[in-house]
Parts: sequence; structure tokens; C-alpha cells
Amino acid sequence: MTCDSISKLIPLYYYGELTPEEEDRVEEHTHQCAGCAREMEQQRALAAVLDRRRQEASGFLLEDCRADLMAAIQGGAPRVEKARVEKSPKTAWRLFLEAMGASLTGLDRLRLPIGALALIAVGFFAARMTSGLPPASGPATGAAPVTSAGFAPDEAFSTVRSVRPDPSGHVEIAFDETRRRVVSGQMEDANIQRLLLAAAHGDNPAVRVESVELLRARAGSTEVRDALLNAVSLDSNAGVRLKALEGLKPLVGDAEVRKTLARVLLSDDNAAIRMQVVDLLVSHRDDAMVGVLQDLVQKEDNNSVRLKVAKALKDMNASVGTF
Amino acid sequence: MGHDAAGAVGARLSPQVDSLIRAAQGGDQDAFEQLVRTYDQSVLRLAMNLLRSPEDARDVYQEAFLRVYRNLHAFRFDCSFHTWLYRIVTNICLDQLRKRKVRKEESAVVETAEGPLDRMDSFEEVSAHADPERSMWNRQLKQRIECALQELTPRERMVFELRHYQGLRLRNIGEMLGTTEEAAKNCLFRATQKMRAVLGDFT
Repeated sequence: MTCDSISKLIPLYYYGELTPEEEDRVEEHTHQCAGCAREMEQQRALAAVLDRRRQEASGFLLEDCRADLMAAIQGGAPRVEKARVEKSPKTAWRLFLEAMGASLTGLDRLRLPIGALALIAVGFFAARMTSGLPPASGPATGAAPVTSAGFAPDEAFSTVRSVRPDPSGHVEIAFDETRRRVVSGQMEDANIQRLLLAAAHGDNPAVRVESVELLRARAGSTEVRDALLNAVSLDSNAGVRLKALEGLKPLVGDAEVRKTLARVLLSDDNAAIRMQVVDLLVSHRDDAMVGVLQDLVQKEDNNSVRLKVAKALKDMNASVGTF
Repeated sequence: MGHDAAGAVGARLSPQVDSLIRAAQGGDQDAFEQLVRTYDQSVLRLAMNLLRSPEDARDVYQEAFLRVYRNLHAFRFDCSFHTWLYRIVTNICLDQLRKRKVRKEESAVVETAEGPLDRMDSFEEVSAHADPERSMWNRQLKQRIECALQELTPRERMVFELRHYQGLRLRNIGEMLGTTEEAAKNCLFRATQKMRAVLGDFT
């Protein structure tokens, strides 16, 4: 085979998209041809560089999207109806919202939805309205409006969908309500496991740490393994990623696990995590990892990690040579 | 090297997913929501990676799952739900990418008083800022990668995204994009060639 035809196969070889025969041909050729071997290296390096661009949408964005979707499906307005609020005169309510907005502008980067501001306000007002004041009468529009007196903020978590003040001092608030339920059971219980798996994706990092910690013991099941892989590569919280790594320890012989760990090694911003991953990867002999580690040793900025990798490579080469 | 893969997870989840779909087809709202939650993270990630704009990613998310909601009754289990869903999602994303090509791809980097700011930075982890050199290198590299990706046609971009970042098999990608595995292979090859031409000295 000519170098030209081999170089066409190299990207596909890298992505494991060739037939076994084609793979053999590529391997045979690259062993003899320095030019094509170099090209293979470049392909690996390109992939490693592109791995760094991997982007995870923030949890805020995901939650926003989910809330919008569910609101749209239930026929509600997806966002706060800005136009309507703008047109109405500046009521006390509106001034309050503006003041809240101004004091929280620094949080813009977190994409704090206006609904959340309103939620703070609702908590404040609901507390006042339910304690002693005569119940406000419900507006005539909207789906089954309730008066604020019927609203028990202590047992419900609400997402405010729209806030509509009118000049007479009335406010109409549409919100989705989630009720808290307590479920208890053994770890063996399939429902408990399902909830834990869901909790491992939750918003609260403390809950994620706790869930991942509990799931660790059950890393034998594919669902749990996937949840741990997911956490280790995608969770924004380093504590959760570390816990997930610990859980993956017994599975380090699994090819899928190693693949994910190799990617984490090249993309995780946290040096402590990269250290742990190196430990895990070298604890299990796998010549395919040499390429990944060589890649890392060139790009790694952190001295401790680089030294660790260099040492691991040295150890591996020594043993690879004697076999 | 693949991502741990919505596809693979989806395939393993198959029996549960099938019963969710059936329940959702029967009008069960909770089942639909659970179905969405099974796949929406990878859909949002795909849109975000392709479009590099949270606003656009959000639009894609909304439109895609609304189409799913409206057309779920027509899903006949003749392909995996993941493939069916991704046909919808990739179509919407490709439209967006094509529109952008026309209006000359707005840059993800905006100029501010404090110098250029990558709009995506605000969605990244704070930990990168702990190490200024690393974050500087990352920033330069990121800009080059953006340039490299802009060289690709929307279709090449999509195939590359699905193979490299989402870890899907080319056969499956062909199925989603209504083309053959062979055509997907060619797309992937052209995409890597173009990117190597631009990113050469970074690799």
C-alpha cells in the first residue's frame, strides 16, 4: 500500500472505524514507514488538543432549558413577560424588582433568571401575607388562580414563571410547584438506586458527592459505572469527580473506563485529579496508554503531574522492554 | 477515541426507555419528562459544542424537544429512540450552522473594555483561573481551534462533532444524517485534514 492510501486511513484508524484487515495493513505500514508513523502521532495529538475544547453546558443552562420546555408543554409562557411589565407604570413591586436586579448584577454571569429574583420576593411577600393579613382575592384570569393565603411556601419549592403587577396593587404570579417527598429504603432497592443515579446528576454538589459515594460500592452494575464515568468526566465539582474516581478504581481494567480516564487526564483542569488518574492508569498495564502519557508529558504544565507521568513512562518502558 | 456516549448508554437503557416512550405516547407527562432527562444533557452539549452560544443552544433544545413532544406518537420503534431524536436535533443544528455561514459566523469572542472576552468563558469552571499560564495557553489554543472548525462545512462539522465529542459510530451517524457510512467516513477524513492544516503547530 502506498503512503497516500495509508494516510487516508489514519483518521479512521484512530477512531476505530476500519475493518480488522484494514487495521492490520495500517499497522504493518506504519511500523516500517517513519513518515506515516509521524502522521499517526499527529492524528493523536490533534485529537488530544481538540479534547481540550470539550464544552459542558452549565447546570444552570440545563435547568433553565428543562423549565422552559415543561412550561411550553403545559401551555404556560416560557419566560417572564417582559413587554407587559415594561408597559405598566412603576409600581412598588416593579421598583422592588429593579432594586433587586441592580444589587445582583454581578451575578449576571450565572444567568440568574428573573424568575429567581421574583422567587426571593415571593418568599418575602408570602411570608408577610400569610402571617395575619386578610387573604388577597385571586385574579379572575389564569388557570385556577389561588390566593396567596392558600400558598404554603414551607412545603413546596416553586419556580416562578411570570409576574404580572397591575396599577391597583394586585400581583398575579404563575409558578410551578414541586413537593418534597421522603423515600427511604435499602441500597439493594431498585428504586433507591434509580433515585441515587438521578441524584448524581442533581444541582447540588453536596448531594452529588453523597450519591456518588453511595453508588461507589455498586460500581459493578453498568448503570452505576456509567453514572461514575459521567461524573468523573463531566461534573463541574472537583470533589464529586474525585469521589467518582475512587469508585472507578476496581474497574480500571475495563476498556471503556480507561478510555474515559485517558480523556479526563488530558482535559481536566484540576491537577489533583490528573495525579489520581495517572495513578489509576498505570496501576494496570496497558501499552495503549503509553501514547496518552507521552502526549501529556509534553503538554502538562504542572510539575508534579509531569514528573509523575515521566516516572510512570520510564517504569513502563522498562517493563515493556523486558517482555 | 469516543465519548462514553449517549448512544451506548441509550442502547443499554433500551428496555426502560421503551417503556418510558410507550407511557409518554399514552400521554404520561412524567414519563415524557423522564425521557427528556435521559437524553437532554447530551443534546444540550451537542448544541453548545456546535453553536458555541448558550442562547442558540437553548433554542435548539427547546425546538428539538417540542418536536419530539409533538411527533412522539409517530415513533414506531423501527430505529433506536436515540437515533430518532438525533435526526431531529442534527437537522435543527445543521440549519443553524447553515444560517450562520450565510451571515458570516458571528464570533464567540467579543471585545470589551478589558480586552477580548470569550463569551464561553463565563460558562466554564473557575478553576482554570487558578493557573494563569495554563489558562492563557488554553485561550490561544481555543481561538485557533475555533478558526480550524470554521473551515469545515456544516456537515463536516456535524460528523466530526458526533464522532469525536459524542463518541458515536460512523454507521450510526450516517443513519442520523440520512447518508451512508462511506459518506460519513469521507466527511470525517476531510474534517481532520482541514483541522490539521490550521492547527498544525499546536499539535
